[in-house]
This record gives sequence, structure tokens and C-alpha cells, in this order.
Amino acid sequence: MISVKNIFKNFGDLQVLKGVSCEIEKGEKIVIIGPSGSGKSTFLRCMNLLENPTYGEVWVDDDLVTPVDPYLHFDVIEASNTFKKIYEAAKTASPNTPDDELRHGIIMEIKQKDLLKKHEGKEYHALMKKIYEDNKLDINLARQRIGMVFQQFNLFNNLTILDNITLAPMKLKKMPKAEAEEKAYKLLDRIGLRDKADSYPQQLSGGQKQRIAIVRALAMDPEIMLFDEPTSALDPEMVGEVLDVMKELADSGMTMVVVTHEMGFAREVATRVLFMDEGKILEEAPPQEFFANPKSKRTQEFLSKVL
Amino acid sequence: MDINWSVKFEGFWNRLTVKGGYKDVILGLKNTGIIAVGGLIIGIVIGTLIAVIKVIPKTNKFLSFLDKLADLYVGFFRGTPMMVQLLLGYYVLLPMLGINTDAVVASLIIFGLNSGAYVSEIMRSGILSVDPGQMEAGRALGMSYGSTMFKIIVPQAIKNILPTIGNEFISLVKETSIVSFVGAVDLYKAFRSIANANYEFMVPYLAMAVIYIVIVLIITVLVKFMEKRLRASDKR
Repeated sequence: MISVKNIFKNFGDLQVLKGVSCEIEKGEKIVIIGPSGSGKSTFLRCMNLLENPTYGEVWVDDDLVTPVDPYLHFDVIEASNTFKKIYEAAKTASPNTPDDELRHGIIMEIKQKDLLKKHEGKEYHALMKKIYEDNKLDINLARQRIGMVFQQFNLFNNLTILDNITLAPMKLKKMPKAEAEEKAYKLLDRIGLRDKADSYPQQLSGGQKQRIAIVRALAMDPEIMLFDEPTSALDPEMVGEVLDVMKELADSGMTMVVVTHEMGFAREVATRVLFMDEGKILEEAPPQEFFANPKSKRTQEFLSKVL
Repeated sequence: MDINWSVKFEGFWNRLTVKGGYKDVILGLKNTGIIAVGGLIIGIVIGTLIAVIKVIPKTNKFLSFLDKLADLYVGFFRGTPMMVQLLLGYYVLLPMLGINTDAVVASLIIFGLNSGAYVSEIMRSGILSVDPGQMEAGRALGMSYGSTMFKIIVPQAIKNILPTIGNEFISLVKETSIVSFVGAVDLYKAFRSIANANYEFMVPYLAMAVIYIVIVLIITVLVKFMEKRLRASDKR
């Protein structure tokens, strides 16, 4: 569904993500946990490009939504001037090394030392362009298939609840107004908030807002839903109602990626738990295994504090 | 000093009513209205476009170019008095372009261009005052930067800046008193001709001031009313 390949993200000098990769298959429910500042929200936001990764690629199904990262394509590295130079030197220095081994060694060296620069020759740039042109997908089209729910709800304050839900389907999918509204009411029924259709976001409680934010994303019929700490800004008594909607959604077969501090939710719903710390995925396992016997020391330490 | 107000007022009233001075006053009021309202509308349209150009992330050269152009525009219209712009527009630019137009229309356009420069800064601060999460939510749904901006951000920005826009409107209304420089009839011209006819300036100019104050008070009330309507979505 979404594959994230070796993502790095820098904010100025601060390196928030240091090489994160993840394949999300259809139907999976992935819960990402970790201490604050570990980069888990940034990682999630890279999946729909609300943050542009500094290096690395994001693929939605078979389509590339970020620019091409040359370090992820061996043929691109091999087409570069840098590679050719090192290769020729190495070939004369040790003519007896098998060619495959030599090439692989040089590719790894270039990757690790970040040797590719701007001027890498025509062939290199043509290949980069070809990969991009063959695979690119407009991010706005990709985002229509990726729903997102925010910590701060972010309902459109100038629109009624009904308009919040119908705006994107009408504008982007050219859905007729009557159809969009019918759909919105159905979704509102599902979360028991039909009577709030004509209210404005400021008139609702946090829990209600978050449930509507979920429904607003669902109105686009996304194939995957991203949740960025959906319960962190809620009063404790409202956390339950939001988690219930999320559980129901999980049961319906939706592919989900959830950044959360709710360990109970992770245990109950997740098919895979990722533990992140300092911009890397330290551990990744099904929840039973993850909570029963965490492997790394850092994970054990974290779990002993939050459980 | 001994001033015989009743005599002065009678002379003024006579000029205003029986001798037909009211016609010019009404025409002046009309022109003031057309120029101020039209100018504000043009100003809001131009100002919004410029504000969006200013806040949009500059991802390509064309956008940076537009940004520079906007700076130039705002720099000129904020850097010279409106009277100078009016004179330049009416007596220099229009003849150069070979356009022969009514002084009121020319004033309206100049007022709009001038107001656009001021409104752009007001609108920019309004846009920046809207929670960035609103833009993120729109983008995350798959909407483009532009449609999120005009459907979600700008309406909220306008709500935030309405009192300041009201201020801008009030100053436009008062600035219309300079359009007589290019020959358009406005309140100043109407009352000045009454004053000149009677050689009596006190009552006509006092009357003029009162009319301006009344107009501004009416605008103030209207803006407050609109603010209330727009804040309907804030009610708890």
C-alpha cells in the first residue's frame, strides 16, 4: 500500500529521521510508539508528504510520490561519473577481483560516503528522469487515497460539520451535492452525530470533533488511514469514544497506521507494532511478542515506564 | 467674537435647498459612495491575490518573480500620497494610454489600486493568523494549495481582519475628499461651491464635517453587525 524507503528528514541541523524504512501491506494495522521526539509523527507525516523527506523515497502502491533518491537505485549510481572514476581506478589497481564484487563494493562505498554530487553526467540524469517519469504520481491524487487524522482535529472552522465532510468529495471527486450529503449523513449516523450536521466545529467537544475528523477523512473512501496521536489532545473521558470508532474501523478491514501512546489500543488492534527512538525504528513485532518480550534494552526501558 | 449663527445658517440653508445646492451634495455623496465602495472591493480582490503571493512557498522562479513584482507594487502605492497617484493616473497615465474616461471612474480605479496595497498587508497578517493545521487538513484530503487557501484559509482570515478592513473603508471614504483635484464632484466640492456663493464658510464646512462623521458612524455600525454575523461559527 505505502512503502517508505530509507527516509531521512532534517529540520535545519536537527536530524529527526535517520534512515527509516517500512512496508505497509493492505489490511495491516500498524501502531507506532516511542518517546516524544523520537520522530514518529514526522515519519507518519512523511507518508503523505506533509513533510518532505530530505532523502529517501515514498511509494504509494506502484507510484513514486517523492523525487528519485539516487542512492536507492544501483543502476543510477552505476551510471554516475563518480562510479565510473572509482571503478576504473579500482579495476587497474586490482584486476583480479570479480567484476560483480567490485561493482557492489563501490556502490556501497558511494552510498555510505554520500559521494554523488550534482554533476554526474548525462546518462545519470537521464536515468533519474526516466525513473521519475515512469513512476511519478501527483501527490494530491495520492493523498485522496490516504486519509489523515490529526492530534488537533483540524476541522475547517469556517464550515459546518456537513460541509466539512462534503467539501473534498464534491470538489475532488465531483460528487453531486445530494449524494455527498447522503453519504455524510450515513457516516454521521455511524458515529451517532447526525444531529450535529449543521453545527460549527467550535460548538463541539474534543471527542466529537475527532470523531468527525475521522469521518471527514472516510468520506473520500481512502485505502489507508493515518492517525497522528488522535487521542493526545482529548480529555481522558473522551478518549474512549474516539478509540471505539477507530476499533470499529479496524474491524471493517481498513489499513491503518496509528501513532499513539495508547498501549491498550496497540495490544488490542495492531497487527504490527513499531518502536521508534532517535529517528530510527528500533524494534518491530506483532503486539503479543512485542509486549511480552521486547528485544532491545531501550524498548524494555520504555515499556517499563509506560505500562 | 460675536457670530450670528442664525443668519449664517439661513443663508446656507437657502443655498442648499431653494437654490439647488443639494443636487451637488447628493451627487458628491453618490460619488463618494461609488469610489469608496468600488475602491474597497477592487482593493480586497487585489489585496487578497497579493497576500497569497506573499505567503505561498516560493517553489519556483515564477513565484519569486511575482513576489518581487508584488513588493514593487506595494512599495509604490504605500510610498506615495494617494493624491500624487490620482494626479499621475488621471493626468499622465490615462492620456499616455490614450484613454479618455470619467474622473469618477479614474478615481475609482486609483482608489482600488491604492487600497489593494494596504489590504494586501492586512490580509497577509490575517492569513498568517489562521492555524496552519487548517492548511494541512486541506492538503491531507488531497486539495491543492490554492483551493485550500481560497475555500478555507481566506474566509477565516477575512473574519479575523474585518475590523481592520472596516478601518480601511473608513479611511477610503475620507480620502474621497481629494477627487475634486481631478474634477470629480465630491462633498468638498459641493460644500465649497455653497460657501463660495455666500462668502460664508463656517456653516457649510461644519455641515460637511457632520456628514462625514455620520457616514463613518453608519459604517462602524455596519462593520460591527457583519462581524457578529461572521462570528456565528464561533458561538458555543
